[in-house]
Amino acid sequence: MDRKVRKLSDYIDQLNAERRPVEHGSSKESPEMEELFETVRMVRSLREPVMPEGDFAGRLAAAVSSSLSRERSRKSSKKKWFYGIATAAAAAALIIAFNTVGPFVEPNMVQAMDQAFQQVGAYHGILEVVETNAEGESITQTKVEVWADKDGRYYVKGLEGWQKGLVTVNDGEKKWQIQPDEKEVELFSAFPDPYSFTFEIGKEIENVKNAVRTRILGNETVAGRETVVMEVTPQGGSPYKIWIDKETKMPLQKQSEMDYAIQYTVRYAEINFSKSIPDGLLAFSLPEGYKKVDNNLEHFVSSLEEARDLAGFVPRLPEELPDGYVQDSIAVMEKSKIVKINYTVKNKEKVSVLQKEATENFKPSSMAILGKVNGNTAEIQSPIQNNEAGILQGGGVYAGVTDISSIRWQQDGFEYAVFGNVSLDNLAAFAEELSGGPVEIPEPEKEAQNEPQVKVPVDLEIEKAEQKNVDAGHSPWMLDPAFVAQVFVSLEMSPGGIQGDYPIDYEELSIIENDGVRAIVEVHSDESPIKRVYLERLVRQDETGIWTVVGYDPAN
Amino acid sequence: MTEVEGNIKLEGEKSIEELCSNHWEPLYRYVYYKVQNREEAEDITQETFIKTISYMQRHNARIEQFESFLRTVSLNVIRDRWRKRNRRGNVVNLDDVNPGMAAIEDHSEGTLQREMIQNALSKLNEDQRTCIELRILKGYSVAETARQMGRNEGNVRVLQFRALQRLSKIIKSEDIY
Repeated sequence: MDRKVRKLSDYIDQLNAERRPVEHGSSKESPEMEELFETVRMVRSLREPVMPEGDFAGRLAAAVSSSLSRERSRKSSKKKWFYGIATAAAAAALIIAFNTVGPFVEPNMVQAMDQAFQQVGAYHGILEVVETNAEGESITQTKVEVWADKDGRYYVKGLEGWQKGLVTVNDGEKKWQIQPDEKEVELFSAFPDPYSFTFEIGKEIENVKNAVRTRILGNETVAGRETVVMEVTPQGGSPYKIWIDKETKMPLQKQSEMDYAIQYTVRYAEINFSKSIPDGLLAFSLPEGYKKVDNNLEHFVSSLEEARDLAGFVPRLPEELPDGYVQDSIAVMEKSKIVKINYTVKNKEKVSVLQKEATENFKPSSMAILGKVNGNTAEIQSPIQNNEAGILQGGGVYAGVTDISSIRWQQDGFEYAVFGNVSLDNLAAFAEELSGGPVEIPEPEKEAQNEPQVKVPVDLEIEKAEQKNVDAGHSPWMLDPAFVAQVFVSLEMSPGGIQGDYPIDYEELSIIENDGVRAIVEVHSDESPIKRVYLERLVRQDETGIWTVVGYDPAN
Repeated sequence: MTEVEGNIKLEGEKSIEELCSNHWEPLYRYVYYKVQNREEAEDITQETFIKTISYMQRHNARIEQFESFLRTVSLNVIRDRWRKRNRRGNVVNLDDVNPGMAAIEDHSEGTLQREMIQNALSKLNEDQRTCIELRILKGYSVAETARQMGRNEGNVRVLQFRALQRLSKIIKSEDIY
């Protein structure tokens, strides 16, 4: 409730400041909040609009002319650029031919990186992000100073670009950010941490280890260091290149493919290795004249009894802890009456159990896999993509943190969630011990078990193009089967296109099956000509894959 | 540029200036009415002109009911930006734009909506109405509103939340949407 109240107030403040509220670009708000935002806009429409300042017509004409001329020049330079790439590709192909015989994997280099990182305690570097356009013009977007260690602690200070002056620190117990413009220090939970920093070396090596394919392209000098250039093809993603320092065996630079005429290069302009991060950098202190803003709403307690007194119920504990885990701490979020018990193994893998009295009907996120915990419907997210509903809503910011998964369910009048930076199997072990019953996580079947009455023809090439769009950050709704079904049913009802609101509400759809690859969405509307929509992830079968309608059952 | 009773054809670079100068204001007002902030209204107005003029140049097209056409394109741009797009909605397909549809939201409907919102506001209790008037219609901050109403800031936020919940219900029950 508190979060909603504040969010609505912030929304009004943004409009009053004549700025675009972040919610206008957000992939999904709860229907309740969307309604309230719309009501704000309607009330506000009683005011006269605030008109642009200065000569808007002149600025507009200049911007339109400039955009159109850029479009023309991009088209005319496309061919030249293509030849440039073709030449580079030919050169790369020669190098590859020289280096490879048959399908190429590079176990030696990957292993060397992994072993070298094992020897490192911490590192310190200057990291820069450079953006390059199709004409080859480059600008430095940001430059930051980074200190990081293998246990996930870090100190990052912005030197140039939008992060200039910002200092972000995670000492393993808490995270804080010093914001000089606002003269504030904001405090957050250390775990989960939705943002660390780009090109964190440990994560990069993990990505290379998990890649579908790696191959050596050649040698180059970067920032005065001799490097090996490697192409990495991740599971279901576009290939990218990394430059590995020949001497230290550490990645120094990473470059994306040119996508939508933009290419990003992230590089350590300087880097050196040490045993640990200097203590002073990880010590919290409030600079003079700064205000402390505590976003960490957890109240740590020393016993279950204390938690019971604050939350009003006796928290449930796992019957047995999975191998190697120990209870780390207990916290209570007093306003939402949520008890959070934290477990850890080797200080790196962390699992938390959330519990509270169930106050609303259980509604799993439409983006989640549906399973069972002790016979109850369970929402399974790996990683968490949506924590707008239920107990996860009160627990912190998890969505978008790629290594955090969760299992959420209701049982005997309580709602539970188990989440952590561990495998689903580990979470399932916790859920089993907590619920006292079996956990079922559906495995995608090779063949669909339920056939639609009407099949919808699919053009896979179009779907691949859509997937590329979504990978570039467009149309995120295509990752949500309920949204895709909503659009499909709406277009069936209004074949000429949708004007204004969708004829079918998002709330009128429910996911009845979702194994992560196939989903069935049921439509609860008397006006809909369709009863069920069948969807599949045809291009990529993980959480980044788009959903495509493959069939439906008519209402009659 | 030739213009006959709202039908427009682009002829030469100079007419871009003319087109922007003659038609930006009604479009901007329309977009502002939808998004309720200047920053976004300026951006969407600009994007709408770029898409429309680029289309006119590519197809050497004459556009009937130009302002309605712009309004429909702007609605698609808003939907595109707010991530509620139709299935192939990454690129606004201007061949499919039906200016008649945008004309549905004409002036008389706007007037009707204003009356309906004012009517809904009158059904709030006095505190709720004052809070909404200060915060949204006069654009005061929470702190200023709290001072004027003799309440603390937390109270004001909760009051405005409840007032908007109630307004939303009243508006829905009016069944205009």
